[in-house]
Amino acid sequence: MNDRDGGLSGRVATPTDVADRAVLARVADGELDALQDLYDRYRTMAYSIALRITADAALAEDVVQDAFLGAWRNAARYIEGRGSVKTWLLSIVHHRAVDAVRRRRPASELPDVETPPPAALTLPDIWGEVAGNLDRAEIASALATLSDVQREAIELAYFGGLTQVEIADRTGAPLGTVKSRIRLGLLAMRTALVGEVAEGGSP
Amino acid sequence: MTQQPTPMSHEQALDLAPLYVVGALEEAEMAAVREHLATCPESHAVFEELGGVVPYLLDDPSLELVEPPAALGDRIMAAATADLAERTAIAERTAPVPAAERTTPIPFPSAEERGERTRARRSPLTWVAAIAAVLAIAVLGAWNVSLQGQVNDLEQQVGAAQEYRDAVAAVLDVASAPGSQTAVLQPVSSGGPRGLAAVGSDGSIQFAMQDLAPTSGSQVYETWAIVGDNAPVPLGSFQVDASGIASFTSQRGPADPGIVVAVSREPAAGATSPTEVVSAGQAAPPAT
Repeated sequence: MNDRDGGLSGRVATPTDVADRAVLARVADGELDALQDLYDRYRTMAYSIALRITADAALAEDVVQDAFLGAWRNAARYIEGRGSVKTWLLSIVHHRAVDAVRRRRPASELPDVETPPPAALTLPDIWGEVAGNLDRAEIASALATLSDVQREAIELAYFGGLTQVEIADRTGAPLGTVKSRIRLGLLAMRTALVGEVAEGGSP
Repeated sequence: MTQQPTPMSHEQALDLAPLYVVGALEEAEMAAVREHLATCPESHAVFEELGGVVPYLLDDPSLELVEPPAALGDRIMAAATADLAERTAIAERTAPVPAAERTTPIPFPSAEERGERTRARRSPLTWVAAIAAVLAIAVLGAWNVSLQGQVNDLEQQVGAAQEYRDAVAAVLDVASAPGSQTAVLQPVSSGGPRGLAAVGSDGSIQFAMQDLAPTSGSQVYETWAIVGDNAPVPLGSFQVDASGIASFTSQRGPADPGIVVAVSREPAAGATSPTEVVSAGQAAPPAT
């Protein structure tokens, strides 16, 4: 719970990040070729994430299209200090996908149309940091530090689009437990990532 | 569309941080936290502390990598090309938005932030000038054979702008009649369809929509009127081609003051309740 500055934000941008930023800058200038380039770089990850969340190929395509068009129109809003282009883009995909899953539920559960649009608005602006790409082995070992119930709660929320109430229903755990599992799971991941990356060892 | 989230204390917001960063709150709670973050001057380090690792979940090595269909890339590029065209056509318009057509902007992205579109009624001359400018570019480009493809694109884009302009003109016709109301339809998710609607005194609604994803097969867009807490009333459906633009006159429905007008995407015509609302707005009488 301590170092905000010595945490993930201290990572150095990789060559991929630098190249991505150059591409995104051209996207912001309205260059179609650059959009094609960005799509080619991330279409597989984007589609795979959308497919995992929606479990529906047609919906996943809609999500990816929506996300890339969102990136096309809003590339100028990307803020360099707040994370990699990859993170920004895939977070957009993620939010669109969760949004799509929630909207697909029965009409009675649809949000009130008078309520302003939801998910898309939480985009990485507040998430900050995360300037580099960890390799997959690092992510895997960080995820491995989570308990099964922590990981389940996080995945039901993040990839299942479920709310805390729905997660509690699904797992039989009380609401407070769901919240603390998610919190402790994220903290464990952070400790594993920061420990490994910024401090060169486990705390 | 202006309902404000319930205010939330700083402690409440911090307590909800783990749920917020993974999106596990109800919409209203998400909105309340968002509002808190936007307005509270105190530290919210815990949001970054917890939220900072969340994007790494997307790198989960157990994620099965699947290549998208080739046609998806083509669709995206076609949509972006159309969007670019519209931007070009709109670039010169700076007419202020009439009071009746202002609504609360959605945070991501608001029209102001995109720095582009105004949904104002514009003088036909402005439109003509903008289109003429685009056409002039197209003619110049024709000198270079290698630019021919772009020229064709531009011409299509001009066509799309014209189509939307005509649709808006039809809405304004209805809006100018006594007893009518107008609504600005905002996209439910960023980049989604948006447009204008005018509710006639007889309850039929004239729509001008753009950025609609094309329909295929039996898919349709269905129009709805919603009065207070009543169930949405379907008002008829339409299909959309690659232009993403629709001009549509609905059946007669309720014409109550302040009704909510919505457009949903449906697998087939005849829906009795909306499957996926893509754009919506609240009607209000025009300012005079």
